[in-house]
Amino acid sequence: MASSESNTRAFLERLAASPCCAAITVESRLEEALESRVGIIFILRADGLALRPLVNRIHRAGRLVAVHLDLVDGVRPDRAGVSWLGRAGVDAIISSQGQLMPAIRREGIVAIHRLLLIRRSLLDAAVAAVSKSGANIVEVLPGVILPEIAPALPKLNVPLLAGGFIRTEAEARAVLAAGAAGVTTSSVNLWRADFG
Amino acid sequence: MAEQRFGFLPRILVASDGREPLQVPEPLADAVLLRDLDLATLVTAAGRARPPLAVDLDAVQGLNPDAAAVRFVTGELGIGVVLTRRPAMVAAAAELGALGLLHVFGFDSTGLGRSLEAHPRRPGVGTMISPGPVLAHLLPEDLVRLPRPVVAYGLIGSAELARRLLQRADAVVLAPEVAIRLVDAVRHTAPGDS
Repeated sequence: MASSESNTRAFLERLAASPCCAAITVESRLEEALESRVGIIFILRADGLALRPLVNRIHRAGRLVAVHLDLVDGVRPDRAGVSWLGRAGVDAIISSQGQLMPAIRREGIVAIHRLLLIRRSLLDAAVAAVSKSGANIVEVLPGVILPEIAPALPKLNVPLLAGGFIRTEAEARAVLAAGAAGVTTSSVNLWRADFG
Repeated sequence: MAEQRFGFLPRILVASDGREPLQVPEPLADAVLLRDLDLATLVTAAGRARPPLAVDLDAVQGLNPDAAAVRFVTGELGIGVVLTRRPAMVAAAAELGALGLLHVFGFDSTGLGRSLEAHPRRPGVGTMISPGPVLAHLLPEDLVRLPRPVVAYGLIGSAELARRLLQRADAVVLAPEVAIRLVDAVRHTAPGDS
């Protein structure tokens, strides 16, 4: 089993080549994602107990797959749930639950901790929790405001993803310029865009 | 439905933890939103000469954001604007004549849509959206789904951003220093300036 660190390097290489990731909530969008330029597909909603065929299909198409542990059906966001997704072959797991990051890494999976941007008085505690969790990558939501709040965002020593309300190429470029390594989006036009 | 006793919603609300009276200019002194405090501090702040206008019911330690809490803050404390994530409680606030603001989170379009499905959509209940800057990025079809009044709350770090958000929001919640800068900027803007 490859380590979480080496898998993170591979994940970041994919992002460098194609910084837009497809976020899909229904399986019917998968074909469009596989026909696009994206290198990584984020599954936000699905039957977590029947993921393996979906994961295999994405891998056969040469793409990586990240699954949102807190949102998929049928799988509890705990260590056993992490282990289950590991057996399904996912490359990365997203969760808002920092205490699960070490368990995700032990499975050799890329650990992505979601940081929800709400208000300033909650931000420091949220950033401290993210810093302590040992995630490989942090995903900030709503990512579209990253350019506006980046100066106020305490320094995080891990790569950033940005997701939420990123719909246009201009927004995606602004978010990348603000320091994100990649964006997650459900906008098909961005899946097809060339950010090279 | 009870008579609407609290129709007043200023365009700028000033966030405070209620520990000390805010040193802010006159137009802001009556527009305080309390959050991140405990129940005893809330009661003390409500007893001051300039009582708070609004409270974030979910951000008061020791206070369970339920119907009894809504009755207490609107009745005993006389607070006119009640913010909470709980749809039934903003409806209860409206029943008691207060303005209820359902706190929704704009992290992504799917989540925002789900939050709005639970909105009571009745008179006396508006929408508080966090983080505030996301309001500038919503599409027109998203905006029309937000029952008014709409208030932008959280991470509005500059007066310029606040002004921009006020083109879409009925009000914004600001830290005192940003609110003061915004009021100063408005005062120094000549009629006709954009």
